[in-house]
Amino acid sequence: MKRTFDACRLPPFLREFPTEPGLIWETIDVSEGVAVRFPAWSDDTAQRLLDTLTEAGARLAEVPVRDLVTYVGRVADRFLDSSDPIRHQAVNWLVPTAGVSKEMATEILIGMARDWTAERLTELLRRELQDPGVLDGFCRLDEGRSVRAKGPLLTFHVGAGTVPGVSVTSMIRALLVKSAVLLKPGLGDVVLPVLFAEALADEAPELSDAIAVTYWPGGSSHLEGFALERAEAVVAYGGNDAISALRGRTPVTTRFISYHHRLSVGLVGREALTVERAPRVAVMAARAVSMFDQRGCVSPHTIYVEEGGAIDPREWAALLASAMADLEAELPGGHLTAIEASAVHQMRGSAELREASGKVVRVFRAEEGFWTVILEDEMGFVPSCLNRVVSLAPTPDLCDVAGSLGEVGRYLQTVAVEGAEDRLPILAEALGRVGATRVTSFEKAPWPPPWWRHDGASVFAGLIRWIDLEAC
Amino acid sequence: MSDAFAHLAHALGTAFKESPGEPWADDPFEQWAQRVFAYQFETNPAYAAYVRKRGITPSNVGHWSEIPWVPAAAFKAITLVSGDPSRVQRVFRTSGTTGTVRRGEHHVLDLELYRASLIPNMGWNLYAGAPDGLEGPTRPIFALTPAPASVPESSLSFMLGAALDGLSRGEGGFFVTGDGVIDTAGLSEALVNATTRGTPILLAGTAFAFVHWLDWLREQSGEFDLPPGSLIMETGGFKGRSRFLERPEFYESLSEAHGLPVEAIVNEYGMTELLSQFYDRPATARSGPALDARRHVPPPWVRTRVLDPNTLSTLPMGDPGLLCHYDLANAGSVMAVLTDDLGVAVDDGFRVLGRVQGAEPRGCSLAMDDLLSGVLP
Repeated sequence: MKRTFDACRLPPFLREFPTEPGLIWETIDVSEGVAVRFPAWSDDTAQRLLDTLTEAGARLAEVPVRDLVTYVGRVADRFLDSSDPIRHQAVNWLVPTAGVSKEMATEILIGMARDWTAERLTELLRRELQDPGVLDGFCRLDEGRSVRAKGPLLTFHVGAGTVPGVSVTSMIRALLVKSAVLLKPGLGDVVLPVLFAEALADEAPELSDAIAVTYWPGGSSHLEGFALERAEAVVAYGGNDAISALRGRTPVTTRFISYHHRLSVGLVGREALTVERAPRVAVMAARAVSMFDQRGCVSPHTIYVEEGGAIDPREWAALLASAMADLEAELPGGHLTAIEASAVHQMRGSAELREASGKVVRVFRAEEGFWTVILEDEMGFVPSCLNRVVSLAPTPDLCDVAGSLGEVGRYLQTVAVEGAEDRLPILAEALGRVGATRVTSFEKAPWPPPWWRHDGASVFAGLIRWIDLEAC
Repeated sequence: MSDAFAHLAHALGTAFKESPGEPWADDPFEQWAQRVFAYQFETNPAYAAYVRKRGITPSNVGHWSEIPWVPAAAFKAITLVSGDPSRVQRVFRTSGTTGTVRRGEHHVLDLELYRASLIPNMGWNLYAGAPDGLEGPTRPIFALTPAPASVPESSLSFMLGAALDGLSRGEGGFFVTGDGVIDTAGLSEALVNATTRGTPILLAGTAFAFVHWLDWLREQSGEFDLPPGSLIMETGGFKGRSRFLERPEFYESLSEAHGLPVEAIVNEYGMTELLSQFYDRPATARSGPALDARRHVPPPWVRTRVLDPNTLSTLPMGDPGLLCHYDLANAGSVMAVLTDDLGVAVDDGFRVLGRVQGAEPRGCSLAMDDLLSGVLP
C-alpha cells in the first residue's frame, strides 16, 4: 500500500485544505511505495497566503525574543525525547523521503535538534548580538548611542533537500529575529520542517499564522514568483543553477542570502599517524565522511594524508576502510536513487581498473554497501560521487595542500585537520586564503555549532537591519 | 593485430555478416561470449586482474551474464585493449566540452570488425524495405556530422562514413565542418537535388545538429519535403542527461520540416565505448507507431541486462535500472560495459528512460554535471 506524506504545513485559514477552492494536490513518488503530496497554488490563494504571513510577521514583532526561544526549545525537546511520538514519526518518514537508513535518520535528527534547544539558541543570540534585547527594543550600546535590530516582516526560504533539518535551522533563525517564514524545502528535506512547524504551532498558537511550509518542484509554482517579490529577505540553499535562477528573479531591494553547494576536505598530519593515534583518527574520519551519507557541504571528498609518519598513507587507508566498514554496520547507508548508485559504480569501477592496471592505486570497498576508500597515487583533489566514496591523497607536506587546490577553493568550505597541531595557524591562514571558511577536527566536522559563520557570514548578518539611535 | 585477435576478429566478423538479423539462439551467443571473455582474460592484464579480484576466471563462468562488466567511465581512466596495444588502428574519443575533462577513449584494434558490426545492423534497420512495401533502396546518406577525415576521433562520423561506402554506394556526403558549423547551403542544395530525383535518402546526425538545422530552416521559412521512403536517423537526443528538447516535439518538428511521417524517424542509441549500436526500429513497427512504445533492439551479437542500481542483480522486465551491454564487437577492448543510462527491459530489447520523476539531486556537494563541466581540475 502506498504511503503519502503531505509536504505542507499551512496557516489555519487554509486548514480546510484540500477543499479550499483553487487548491489541488499533486504527488511525486519518492521511493518504493512512498509518495510526497503537495498543493498546487492558484494565484489568488498564493497571494492570500502571503497576505496572512505578512500580517502575522507584524504581530510577531511584539513577541519577546525570550518567548520565541522557549517555544522553539520545547519543540526541540520533543524531537529529542525518544518516547515522544513525533520522534518516531520523523524517523519513519525520513527513511523513505531522505533516502537514509533508520539509524542515520535518528542520528541526524538528534544532531540537528540538539542545536534547536533553548539553551543553544540563547547561547547563539548572546554570541551574535551580545544583548538579545536589541530584538525587542532599543538598547543602549555606548555613549550617545542606542541600537535596535529588526528582522524582515517575511522571509522566503528555499531549501536544498540535501541534509534533513537544515531548512528547519534556517527557519528558526528567521523566527528568532521575528520574521514570518515561508519555506519551500527540497524534496529530500520535507519531513522535519513540516513536523517542526506543526509542533511549534501547537506550542505557540499565536505563531500559527507566521509559518508556512510547502513543497513544489523549483520554478514550477506561481507562489515562488510572488514570494520572491513580496518577501523582505530571501534565503536560498542549492546548486549553482538553482541559486543563480532565484537571484535573477529577486528584486534588488530584497536581501538575498545564498548558500551554493560547497565541499570539504580532510588533512591528516604525520603527528597523527602514530601506531596509537592513527586508528582513532581513522574512526573519526570515517564518521565525518559517512555522516549524512556524505551529502553535506561539511562532508570531506578528499583526505590528504601526509607521508613520513609511522603509519604510511597506504596503511592508514586500510585503517580507514576498516572504520568505514564498522560504521556501515552501526549507521548503514541509505537506499540510493539510480543516479546516485550509478555514480558510485562508475567511479569505483574505474578506480578498481586503475588499480588492476598496475597503477599505485588501492581500492578498499564494501562488498554490498557503497562505501569506498580510494588511495590515489599522487596528491590532488578528487571530487567524490558522494554516498561514502572518499579519495585519499598521499601528501609529502600538508603545507602544500592549500596551494594545490586552485579552482576548488571557490567551493571549499570545511577543512578537517588532525595531527598538525603545531602548524595549525599556518595551515589555517593558507587554507583561508584559498577559500576555506572553517578549519576544525574530523570529530566536529559534521556538526558545526549554531553560531557557526556558515560560509563565512555571521548568522544574523543578512537577516537583521540595525537601527542606530543617536542622542540628539 | 596479434594472430589470436586476428583469428577471433575474423571469425566474429564472418558470424556478424552471415547473421540473418534475427536474435541468435542462446547457445551460439553463449559460446561466443565465453570465447571472447577467455580471450580478453588472456590478453588484457588490467581487465584480468579486475576480474580475478572478483573471484572469476573463464573456467568458472557458467553463463555470459556472470562475465564482469567494466563501467563506461573506465574508458576515461585507463587504456582498455585486449591484445597488442601497438597494433591499435584508431582511437575514438567521447565528445568533451573542455580541455580539462578527461575524455573516454576506445582503442580499436580492428576497424574491419567495427564495420562488420555496424553495416549489417544499420542495413537491417535503415536499409530494409519500408513498411509501405517500397523496395529497400540505396538511400544516399546526407550526414549532419563532419566528414570522418576531418574528425578521425569521432566514432559517429566513422560509422556514417563506413555506411556511405558500404550501404549507399558512396552516394551522399557530410555537411558539417570540422569546427562543427553546418554547411546549410551545401545541404540545401543536396536535398533539392535529391528531391528532384525522387530517390529516398537517409538524413543522419546528432539531435544537437538537427536542432540547429531546424532553426535555420525556420529562419529561411524553408521546408524540404524529402522523397517518400526517406528516413531520418538522429542520435544523442534521447538520453535523459542531454535531452534539450522533448522527444515528441522534436520528432514533430523534424516530421513537419521534411514531410515525413514520425515513423520515418529512427533513434540510434550508441556510445563510443561500444562498437555496436541500437536502433529503435520504427520501420518494423512491431510495437506500433507511438514513441512511448518504441524500444531499442540489439543486434544478434549484443545482449543487454537491466541491473538494479542498488544490488546490481538483473531486474525483471519492466523494472527500471542501469543498462549493461555485452557486445561481442568489443572483442578488442572489453565486451561487458555498464552504462549510466536508465532503461527497462522489454520483450526483444529495451527502452531508454530519461531522468526519473522527482529525482532532485541529493547532495550538498557539486553534482557530477558541475564537476564534469570543467569547473574543477
